[in-house]
Amino acid sequence: MKITREVVQGLYKQTGTARVDADVAASFKVGDAIQARNINPTGHTRLPRYIRGKQGRIATDHGVFKFADSLAHGGGNQPQHLYSVRFDAQELWGAAAPAQDCLYIDLWDDYLEPA
Amino acid sequence: MTSDNDVALRVRALESLLLEKGLVEAPAIDEIIDLFENRLGPQNGAKVIARAWSDPDFKARLLANATDAIVEMGYEAVQGEDMVVVENTAQVHNIVVCTLCSCFPWATLGLPPVWYKSAPYRARAASDPRGVLAEFGTDIAAEAEVRVWDSNAELRYMVLPERPAGSESLDEEALVALVTRDSMIGVTRALNP
Amino acid sequence: MNGIHDMGGVHGYGPIIREEDEPVFHHEWEGKALALARTGLAGGHFNLDEFRHAMERIPPVEYLSISYYERWLEGTLMMLAEKGVLSGEEFQARLDEMSGDALSGDGA
Repeated sequence: MKITREVVQGLYKQTGTARVDADVAASFKVGDAIQARNINPTGHTRLPRYIRGKQGRIATDHGVFKFADSLAHGGGNQPQHLYSVRFDAQELWGAAAPAQDCLYIDLWDDYLEPA
Repeated sequence: MTSDNDVALRVRALESLLLEKGLVEAPAIDEIIDLFENRLGPQNGAKVIARAWSDPDFKARLLANATDAIVEMGYEAVQGEDMVVVENTAQVHNIVVCTLCSCFPWATLGLPPVWYKSAPYRARAASDPRGVLAEFGTDIAAEAEVRVWDSNAELRYMVLPERPAGSESLDEEALVALVTRDSMIGVTRALNP
Repeated sequence: MNGIHDMGGVHGYGPIIREEDEPVFHHEWEGKALALARTGLAGGHFNLDEFRHAMERIPPVEYLSISYYERWLEGTLMMLAEKGVLSGEEFQARLDEMSGDALSGDGA
């Protein structure tokens, strides 16, 4: 497709959502204790190293989204639930971190297992 | 580091090839640059925050479904498709980072500043948010809760800063001037009137 | 991938350098680099996840020493080459041609 001024004008209205309207079951619900999987793919992933193997709790279920790890390698949408997961700062960084501080990160179903 | 002349030449070479191949027209390139230079930016987000400070119903909608509330104000653009707004209070301070690249809510804040994209911020905002906040001159009470939001996936985050003390008499338009880009990332507070 | 881009928690990068009243783009080429990357995405030549992965594959020393929009440029070039839209050779030939012009322009 040739990109013209008109294409650009249309494009920058919201068209880029990765949210999909698909009936996919969620493996977890809000409040569930989870552990991030320890994966080390050589390809693309949105699961950072500092989260892998750590335990947290599902804070929000954002709904079903295309899976970036798959789309980066021509693997299709693999639609699945994307959750906001809360991790205690001490779980991530050790006892020196303030006990009440925390970090929220968005994780797809495939990144998680029950804790 | 590549000199700016070298990289400028590389960009010109790529531009000439894409134009020649008919993949893009020159006015489309100008249109994209104009969008990012003039239309998307923290001036949009500041209006959203000022509305939230002035209108409790809007604030409730913004916190419940930020995407729809922001679109309601007309800010419907790329990297604003799925938004979350988190509220700073005396007890809870939120700060946003993208540790993996530099994801940022373009529709409301525009393109990120260089420091947001830099290694020191991406590295330390996650592990030492209080240290980063101190570097920005933002004091956080020891007993307050600091929440870091790593916007690593498909959601984009914006902070609703606390409405500053002494701003009670200001109307929505005057409040806009108190809302800085940095306060909507969560590294600083809103300005005092 | 366990790459240089995965920065959360890393030590040693020093203080956060800020700039007052920072412009959206510091050089004209930065806006162009962004626009050309968006063109490749909008034209369906590659998707955002592939593009992010391309930038992650920039060798670590280079990743840290080039600016944000240079990463966009290099990521775009990688994608266009891998998708068969624009080969590295074709790009290099154009670059040589244009730098020749630039050099002769200097002496004129």
